[in-house]
Amino acid sequence: MLAYVVRRLWQMVPTMLGVILLVFLLFNWVGGDPAYILAGKISNPEQIANIRRQLGVDEPYYMQLWIFIKQIVTFDFGNSWSTGEPVSQILGTRLGPSLTLLIPLTILETLIAVALALMVARARGSLTDRMVMIACTVGMSISILVYIIVFQYGFAYKMGLFPVQGWGDGFAENLFRYSALPIIVLLAVSIAPNLRLFRTFVLDEIGHDYVRTARAKGLGESRILWVHVLRNAAIPIITYVMSNLPALLIGAFLVERFFSIPGIGREVILAVERSDFPVIKAITVYVAVATMLFNLLADLLYQAVDPRVQLQ
Amino acid sequence: MTAMMMPDSVDNLLQVRDLRVLFMIEKGRAFEAVKGVSFNVPRNRTVALVGESGSGKSVSALAVMGLLPQENAIVDSTSSIVFDRHELLAMSIAERRKLCGKDVSMVFQEPMSSLNPVFTVGFQIGEVLRLHMGMNAKQARTRVVELLNEVGIADAESRINAYPHQMSGGQQQRVMIAMAIACEPQLLIADEPTTALDVTIQKQIVELIAALQKRRQMSVLFITHDLGLVSEIADQVIVMRDGEIQEQGEAGQIFSAPANAYTKALLHCRPSLDARPWRLPVIDDYLNGIIQTELELPERKRGYSENDEPLLVVRNLSKSFFSREGLFGKKEFQAVKDVSFTLPRGKTLGVVGESGSGKTTVGMTLLRLHKATGGQAFFGGKDILAMSSREFAAYKCRIQIIFQNPYASLNPRFTVGQILLEPMRIHGIEANDRERSEKAFQLLQRVGLKAEAFHRYPHEFSGGQRQRIAIARCLTLQPEILVCDESVSALDVSVQAQVLNLLQDLQDEFGISYIFISHDLSVVKYMADQVMVMHHGEVVETANSDDLYRHPAHPYTRSLLSAIPKRRNG
Amino acid sequence: MTAEPIPVSPGLWALAWRRLCSDRVAMASLFVLLLFLLTLVLSSTGMVAGDWNEEVGISYAPPSFIGASGSGNADTAAAADPQPPENPLDPLKDVLRELRAEMAGKAAPAAGQASSDYGIRDPLEKELAEIRSNLPESGLQPARTRRDTLPFGADKWGHDIIKKTIKGAETSIIVGLVAALLATFLGTLFGALSGYFGKGVDDVFNWFYSVFTSVPYLLLILAVAAVLQKKGVLTIVLILGLTGWTGVFRLVRAEYMKHKSREYVMAADAIGASHWSRMFSHIFPNISHVALVQMSILAVGFIKSEVILSFLGFGVPVGVVSWGSMLNEAQNELILGKWWQLAAATVAMAVLITAFSLFSDALRDALDPKLK
Repeated sequence: MLAYVVRRLWQMVPTMLGVILLVFLLFNWVGGDPAYILAGKISNPEQIANIRRQLGVDEPYYMQLWIFIKQIVTFDFGNSWSTGEPVSQILGTRLGPSLTLLIPLTILETLIAVALALMVARARGSLTDRMVMIACTVGMSISILVYIIVFQYGFAYKMGLFPVQGWGDGFAENLFRYSALPIIVLLAVSIAPNLRLFRTFVLDEIGHDYVRTARAKGLGESRILWVHVLRNAAIPIITYVMSNLPALLIGAFLVERFFSIPGIGREVILAVERSDFPVIKAITVYVAVATMLFNLLADLLYQAVDPRVQLQ
Repeated sequence: MTAMMMPDSVDNLLQVRDLRVLFMIEKGRAFEAVKGVSFNVPRNRTVALVGESGSGKSVSALAVMGLLPQENAIVDSTSSIVFDRHELLAMSIAERRKLCGKDVSMVFQEPMSSLNPVFTVGFQIGEVLRLHMGMNAKQARTRVVELLNEVGIADAESRINAYPHQMSGGQQQRVMIAMAIACEPQLLIADEPTTALDVTIQKQIVELIAALQKRRQMSVLFITHDLGLVSEIADQVIVMRDGEIQEQGEAGQIFSAPANAYTKALLHCRPSLDARPWRLPVIDDYLNGIIQTELELPERKRGYSENDEPLLVVRNLSKSFFSREGLFGKKEFQAVKDVSFTLPRGKTLGVVGESGSGKTTVGMTLLRLHKATGGQAFFGGKDILAMSSREFAAYKCRIQIIFQNPYASLNPRFTVGQILLEPMRIHGIEANDRERSEKAFQLLQRVGLKAEAFHRYPHEFSGGQRQRIAIARCLTLQPEILVCDESVSALDVSVQAQVLNLLQDLQDEFGISYIFISHDLSVVKYMADQVMVMHHGEVVETANSDDLYRHPAHPYTRSLLSAIPKRRNG
Repeated sequence: MTAEPIPVSPGLWALAWRRLCSDRVAMASLFVLLLFLLTLVLSSTGMVAGDWNEEVGISYAPPSFIGASGSGNADTAAAADPQPPENPLDPLKDVLRELRAEMAGKAAPAAGQASSDYGIRDPLEKELAEIRSNLPESGLQPARTRRDTLPFGADKWGHDIIKKTIKGAETSIIVGLVAALLATFLGTLFGALSGYFGKGVDDVFNWFYSVFTSVPYLLLILAVAAVLQKKGVLTIVLILGLTGWTGVFRLVRAEYMKHKSREYVMAADAIGASHWSRMFSHIFPNISHVALVQMSILAVGFIKSEVILSFLGFGVPVGVVSWGSMLNEAQNELILGKWWQLAAATVAMAVLITAFSLFSDALRDALDPKLK
């Protein structure tokens, strides 16, 4: 097991290097000379040269790459180009709100979607099943933007059930008051695709021979679904949820932006709007690392859940 | 073709009357799988339900258990299934479920996929006990250990915590049987329980079921496609074909003097170990009344002789597969170890072994579909394993292969014509496409298909027909050696005989040498001049086929031969 | 020999088409998609909605089925607004009362003239009158009368919502389809090479795959959008296409690996077919349905992504209309109670994507070769 983890970490290195290279190429090469962006429209050559020296972009490319790698390892990306705040501080403070939003969301989303999937699978082939599936398709065809706009307008502005925007100081206050509507919006958006996917997983399992054996043993449909099928379907479900987590971090960016929640996603949008390269680079690199670690975690979890898997 | 009805008797545990099952495929079209079938299963008796694929035997059993897929299966309302004096079809699903596992239980064909992979064996068997017998965890555990011992699983105390994938096929099937008999059912339905298992294990499972039947005095409905398999254990036999019963009666009667042509065909189409007629009888011979009794044909002599000119000489062939292990290690699995043999012109070498013996790998390596790890194969004087790919390309005309699965060996997107023309185009046979098509038509007729097959797609043909197309494809190149890798194993008995006859005709006409790979000893004895027995990648014994079967030298060969079910001669 | 009539044997594609035709939902969604495509063709050639940029309605004109808001001409909109109630605490309330009485007494000024409130004369009045009288000769068109209502309302600048929606459809569909085509092409090519050859080639492509999938999709898009300063439809298509190939890659690679060990491919090897022949003549026709279904699923995803990108301002440039930009405007309009732009964009998008999704599902069911 330890050998497996070590080997996987070792295998991550080329991928990590690839991501670093990709980000570097993107921002330092394609991205154009940042000095002009920062200096603004009115600037003289002296100012530009100054800025370039400060940023270190007057050095040859391999030097820049080396500096970049050092930055990643030491967690020091310098300061934000727009606010001047140290990038590491930005990331540190924004992580909390994002997690406050995302952890309850993931838990609720998974539990609800799994329960619904099992119930729908029980009624498979019937009219209810088809109606639910069509409702899911229609639900998925409405952009998340519309959900946000309408929910915010309806529940917060018109009915006043939730605050329209904002974030507080206390954890409990943030969790129950400010996160409530964002979580509801994201739940509404994610139920349909998750339900469809989990339903597919469950139906795949139902088609297997061991379900027929369970029926031959005289077990009731409920027990077959909730014990036998769920345990097997849990495998692809867990894999999916785990590998989706980092994407969720960024995917919540729209919600964070609309509801003015100071999280990582909102930070990304702001940074892109302001061409704040250090922030974008840092976030990209760390999210990539998180993705790889989550994939490893998913594989380890997979082994715990599926006795057939032997990690080599 | 009269179907004899068993007399109505109070002693019948199961009475099926006029069972009709329809499957809805697509809108408005229905397929009648079972067309009005009636039979009885008396108490404390073993009834064998025999039929080939598509006969409806499994569907009938599933109908009794109530396990037909609810989405598209319909049981006709005029049908009746009476179990222990209760009309099953009048009961609700919940009530029928209560009977399942307790009074009627079933064992399926594929034990690996029929067991839940994520629960231990002990849990799955215990589940039945806890549900139907109301035992608590501790009582269930004790009982499970007893059951595992009864079905012959060694070291039951520790195996109770094993997962299905940690057991062999034979052990998995024993676990399935333990699960089925746990609640002392009155009727055990076994649906092809041994088909997926090796020959030696097959015998053990059949004997186990027979022993359990006697000990517990339960009824057994044994479903199989192999009439010979049940000759030793069946009290009564029912023969089905295309959803209808062809014949049923006492086993002794059926085996010694079958009344129905189809039953006769089933009994005699399989090559026997005792005789080797010039050609195998096929179903049509019986159905058209050509044969009344045994086929009277001269015997075919087989064996290598002194003045055989060797065509292919293989020395020390080895093939290993490597997989990663630990941090840097490599694990080696030796599929083929040091195999040597000779193949003369116009003769057949049979390669027998169970699954995992490496016999298929030998064939694949000779065709360079796998890269050999060691050894030489001299074909016409040159080592074909050491050649470059370019040099070997010219040899592809001379050695060809027919695969096991007729449903996977033809490209579903090509027409038969394209399949036949492709090899000719690659090797530049014939001058243009018109001449190639002419040749293709001729070959199609030679293998027994109509010329119009040229324009059709593989999915329109049956398994036997597809195998013929595969043979025709090989023939376009006029090979000298043909490797038949389990080429008839996936076919029904009646179709098998036809394809074997075709292969023999081709050998007689063109002088092709065969390497005939199979796990089926009777078929190999019929087809092969010399037989090579393989076990765990090594050659255990090689001898002329008559000698081998009469005087097997190696203990493994003897155990293989003893596992062949003896034909009951009435 | 060949004189026998050749029986028409349905290949697998023909069978799949038959299955698709018998599925009513599939046919209905296909019909809707074709309608959209037709609209796309008409719109891109300028035959329809070419003049979407014209300000034909008054600001925030309501839809015709609701009726005019009673505001009349845009120039006098302010004058027609109901008077705010008098504020008793206002120190100027008497002055205001006098002024209002004076204004109410005056006749509504002629159309086209600047309102002359407060009795102050327009210093440029004479010159403007001259220009207006010369207008018909100079060929410029006078400011058209703006309509009170439009079939589905107008936005802030008076653009016809229906025309904007059609134009937006054009943007979204083109982006979705072209990007999906690009991504599917790349994914299939890479997947085929990777799955078929394995070993070194596979390692290289897998490395690319893991690099691209380590960065969440949206983040990658945003990062690229941040870097590519110039905007435009081509840019979006490139961004989406060059980052979205990973899903197709994984599927096609798995399919190739599965088929490579199938007997018909080994048979092709045995008769001497070359690697390329095996890869493209033999295996590809058997997996092309996977690529096709993936393409249609990708198109849906890309349409949604484009809307989000345009909404955030990273998508289409200012002069081009997209459903995303419409939603952006709608966000602020909703508070004012103007819901028609939101409704138009949402409904159009929902109809297109639902039809597309239903069609993808039906396509997948029809093409499923497992039955054969």
